[in-house]
Amino acid sequence: MRVNPNITPDVLAAIYATQSQQETALQELSTGKRVNVPSDDPLAASLMVGNQDQSSRADQYLQNIDTLTHQMQTADTALGSVVTALNQAISLGVQGATGSATAEERQQIAQNLLGIQAQILQLANTEIGGTYLFGGTASTTTPYVLDSSSPSGVTYNGNDGTNIVEIADGLKVQTNLPGSQLFQNASGDVFRSLQQLITALQTGTASDVATATNSVRDAFNSVTGSRIFYGNVENQLNSTQTFLNQEQVNLKSQQTTLIGADITKAATDLTQATTAHDAALAAAAKILPTSLLDYLK
Amino acid sequence: MPGLNTSMNIAVQALMAEQGALDVTTNNISNVNTPGYSRQLAVFQESPTVLEGKVAYGTGVTLEQFQSVRDQMLQLRIYEETAQQGNAQAQLNSLSQIQTTFADPSQGIGGALTAFFNSLSQLSTNPTDTNARQQVLIAANNLANAFHQSASALGQVQQQLDQTVPQAVNQINELTAQIAKLNAQVAQMQGVGQDPGTTQDQRDQLILQLSQLVDVSVTQTDQGVTLTTANGVPLVVGGQNFELQSGAASGGMQGVFANGQDITSQIQGGKLGGTIQARDGVIPDLLSQLDTLASQFTTSFNAANQSGFDLSGNPGGNIFTPLASVTGAASSFGVAITDPALIAASADGSAGSNGNVAQMLAVRDQQLPEGVTPMGAYSNLVLAVGNYGASAQANVSASSTTLQQLTDQRNAVSGVSLDEESTNMILYQRAYQAAARVVTTVDSMLQTVLSMGVTR
Repeated sequence: MRVNPNITPDVLAAIYATQSQQETALQELSTGKRVNVPSDDPLAASLMVGNQDQSSRADQYLQNIDTLTHQMQTADTALGSVVTALNQAISLGVQGATGSATAEERQQIAQNLLGIQAQILQLANTEIGGTYLFGGTASTTTPYVLDSSSPSGVTYNGNDGTNIVEIADGLKVQTNLPGSQLFQNASGDVFRSLQQLITALQTGTASDVATATNSVRDAFNSVTGSRIFYGNVENQLNSTQTFLNQEQVNLKSQQTTLIGADITKAATDLTQATTAHDAALAAAAKILPTSLLDYLK
Repeated sequence: MPGLNTSMNIAVQALMAEQGALDVTTNNISNVNTPGYSRQLAVFQESPTVLEGKVAYGTGVTLEQFQSVRDQMLQLRIYEETAQQGNAQAQLNSLSQIQTTFADPSQGIGGALTAFFNSLSQLSTNPTDTNARQQVLIAANNLANAFHQSASALGQVQQQLDQTVPQAVNQINELTAQIAKLNAQVAQMQGVGQDPGTTQDQRDQLILQLSQLVDVSVTQTDQGVTLTTANGVPLVVGGQNFELQSGAASGGMQGVFANGQDITSQIQGGKLGGTIQARDGVIPDLLSQLDTLASQFTTSFNAANQSGFDLSGNPGGNIFTPLASVTGAASSFGVAITDPALIAASADGSAGSNGNVAQMLAVRDQQLPEGVTPMGAYSNLVLAVGNYGASAQANVSASSTTLQQLTDQRNAVSGVSLDEESTNMILYQRAYQAAARVVTTVDSMLQTVLSMGVTR
């Protein structure tokens, strides 16, 4: 039987094939990736689009959590100071309600209380970079301004709006309580009760002062209760942060499964390809020069 | 009639025949590396016998002809496979260029879409922050750029392919002209019973080159071969070639015409077939997916923005320029606003509200009219690019393997073997030496005969 006398193209093809296997294995080893262009594994490449999106989203959620944590802490600290101030106001009120207090002393206490009122006003107008934390969604205008014509001594320029931020897919948290709800709700009105106490101390009787002090106590309880909201959100932010970090790890491991090279396999492939390549070269060196002409004298 | 002169004549014929055969061997050895060369055989034939009484005397040998050894069926399969390889290779070349645009999932449209929605997510934590709003605008512009880049990458490859069409048509016409010339010579030689040998080799080699460009169907006739395209448009009949023309076809692309008739879509194989399929099939499919995404995303997102209020409390407008048509949407995808305040984050009209950002973010998880989320649509696009590329890659390696096997088979029949030629050379040399010995022997016998009449 006659066989193909010109094996050069076949020998070259074999050498190219083993060389190409070497290059593939080497590329996998050096990039750590099995899929470098979509045609390497179309499905994995298309799933990677989703994986990349998820992972990038998680990054953003973590950033949101950082931003929000700062906001929550600032708000919580401000409310903490309000609570302390109200506590002081109550002590002063109790002091002023005793029958032994003189008119001068009451005036003096009222003066102190005016200072506390100003301090709470400033705390209620807490802002971060021009955004007021307790103005509802009208956060670009100063929420509270002094207004002597108002029974509470202040005017609220904010609104009742709240904002909701997504901190993980499908997980949304409310990020603010409007001042109207924090400082002026039905169970306790911070500014109104303070104003009442000041007025009672300036012009009222001891029992007026006691009544007003009780109102301030109500307001104190109300603010303390509302403050829990910020603590809860902070807790939620913390636990979501842990969840997202775990999610990132999961996505990374999914990414490795999808497009990552199996390093052990790639290394074995490289060894095998190198052996095959050497064998092809050795065979070529042995076969190619042989011809009958070598033996004819 | 037997006699010394006859023996001498027979010996001389043998010398000439062996010399001729040695020429064949020499020619075979010389062409051992010539592509498409089919080895030739020296065909010896007994000279007619002479009958004298009851004895039939042989009158020696004649070198009848040089016969090329070839397998026409194998040759036809090689043409076919070459056309398929040409097609697959052309598609693979264009897809390799396209693939790089869609290779990195964190870049391109996918990355830009993610970044855009992330910038909105960031904005939701602080809706009045001008910086955050500016970031949304920047991300929107990046998204527009990503759409433009992908569309223009596809468009550029399509343009390149389009420019290849007239070039391929010119090459086809040059080849068919040469083939027709050789074909006429082959037919003429075959007509007078000659082996067309080298001329046929050259013609077949040209048909092989033609097969790389377009799929041809080859029919043997008494005028040589008839070449037609797969759908029957004649290219070469006998000594005549029929030119194809290229020119603007419907759709603004270069078409292929035969006798004024548009045969573009009927060309399936070869580089030309692959070019046309990539240009008119693969790329338009990818472009249309891209356009659909650009168009439906624009509509959905604008609707979301319109449901809210901007920083000044006015009802939201368009963030992206509304697109007139789906075709070309990816190239004309654009951002309609330059003022970051116009992003309608607010749900209640107050500046600090972020209520409408949720509506905008919802676009990324809502199905577009085509039934997938924007990211899903992009992911499908990557899948399509990958599948086209993988299938072209598979076709190329499959047809390369087949072609290699076919070429091996062809060479087993027609290839020159140096071992065989060396053996033949020895055979012919020995035969020549023997015939020469006959001449000297007859010569000495003649001397004997001549000396018989001489008296000492």
